[in-house]
Amino acid sequence: MERRKTYDGCEGPDAMYVKLMSSDAHEFVVKREPALASGTIKVMVSGPGQFAENEPIRSIVERPLHILHMYFTYKVCYTKNSTKLPIAPEIALELVMAVNFLDC
Amino acid sequence: MASFPPRVNEKEIVRSRTIGELLAPAAPFDKKCGRENWTVAFAPDGSYFAWSQGHRTVKLVPWSQSLKNFLLHGTKNVTNSSSLRLPRQNSDGGQKNKPREHIIDCGDIVWSLAFGSSVPEKQSRCVNIEWHRFRFGQDQLLLATGLNNGRIKIWDVYTGKLLLNLVDHTEVVRDLTFAPDGSLILVSASRDKTLRVWDLKDDGNMMKVLRGHQNWVYSCAFSPNSSMLCSVGASKAVFLWNMDKYTMIRKLEGHHHDVVACDFSPDGALLATASYDTRVFIWDPYNGDILMEFGHLFPPPTPIFAGGANDRWVRAVSFSHDGLHVASLADDKMVRFWRIDEDYPVQIAPLSNGLCCAFSTDGSVLAAGTHDGSVYFWATPRQVPSLQHLCRMSIRRVMTTQEVQELPVPSKVLEFLSYRI
Repeated sequence: MERRKTYDGCEGPDAMYVKLMSSDAHEFVVKREPALASGTIKVMVSGPGQFAENEPIRSIVERPLHILHMYFTYKVCYTKNSTKLPIAPEIALELVMAVNFLDC
Repeated sequence: MASFPPRVNEKEIVRSRTIGELLAPAAPFDKKCGRENWTVAFAPDGSYFAWSQGHRTVKLVPWSQSLKNFLLHGTKNVTNSSSLRLPRQNSDGGQKNKPREHIIDCGDIVWSLAFGSSVPEKQSRCVNIEWHRFRFGQDQLLLATGLNNGRIKIWDVYTGKLLLNLVDHTEVVRDLTFAPDGSLILVSASRDKTLRVWDLKDDGNMMKVLRGHQNWVYSCAFSPNSSMLCSVGASKAVFLWNMDKYTMIRKLEGHHHDVVACDFSPDGALLATASYDTRVFIWDPYNGDILMEFGHLFPPPTPIFAGGANDRWVRAVSFSHDGLHVASLADDKMVRFWRIDEDYPVQIAPLSNGLCCAFSTDGSVLAAGTHDGSVYFWATPRQVPSLQHLCRMSIRRVMTTQEVQELPVPSKVLEFLSYRI
């Protein structure tokens, strides 16, 4: 049986989700609270309205953003656990610059 | 004299949570020495913990059972009842599933311990493999013990039997370490001022003698990619060796007294050394720069005082597996946990007469051995590392500092990757 859930949207300051768009137009819809692990996203989302709600993060391409999403989930779920998040060195270099911007 | 920088209030520092302790059994006769626990070690797969109880014995404790006992029975480990609970009938199938406790009598005071397990792909360096007595398979776990008379005995952990006796050092074998790449290369550091490299896949053939120390060698550590070896010793010595050609890469200068412990970070980008001059230094092993200094005595001692009996010798240092924390033991009866970006400890715990420490294989527990042969365990400070740090470790595992400097990234990111914040 298919369950239909209605989700809150991504619009507005109380939205449960935020939409992250990469520079090559991939969209990630992630839960708001884990995404606030990134200092920059926190500022963008809850700041005094200077950023448009769905402004794309231009400097980041899709692949690192995917790992970013993994990291948010990882951080919430594994705060007490010792599971490792594997990051290949080739991706790590692109990722480190993106993450430096996002401060997380 | 203070143990912390003046701006830090000692009472505000968090105390670590104790997990348990293994207390040495009462001695049959009262001896002043011979009870010390000079090294503690965990098996690479986390199955065993080696406890050198002094009086020449090493006890191999199945680690996960021990941990369960600590959590069930509170802090005191009831070792007698746990060994009775192990199944009496020990079938072959059972041997692999339930690790058994073993007590090994080494015949002489044990100064160093190391666990080694082999990876079958790593070929032995010797060509004539068919002449070897031992074929170290995938499920073989070895324990090397370094003794007072200079001998090294290699034991099989699962059966507790003696496999090899390596004889060459003329003095106490103070430290032992296996190469982390599974090739069963063992390096021993001795008070006879040399380090020796043994190939255990070649029946313990001694491949090389590393000479260069002018005085006792206290400790040695391999970098995680097995390309470098750090050896530290008396007279302020910190040496880095290239383990492909067995030549000395460089000497690291900076300590004022004997250097007694060293450890690499899990990505090999940092080297921590502990010295009797009351300090722990964090170095960049690729260019010899000192990146951080962890002091244990405040105000910091003058070089003359640091070079003598200052009552605050740092005995051991160990890097945690997350690459962010360092644990140190000093003579002021405290264990300190440090973050690599702060110069004061984030957690402390009381410990008298601590001599050695080691993190467990999963990094969640720190074990410290003391002068009376006991071992104490604490929970390590845990936090989810920042994604930046995870990326940094992933990059630094494969790149040296010089290679990192060549990367086309902004300078702030370069500094971060070189651990220079």
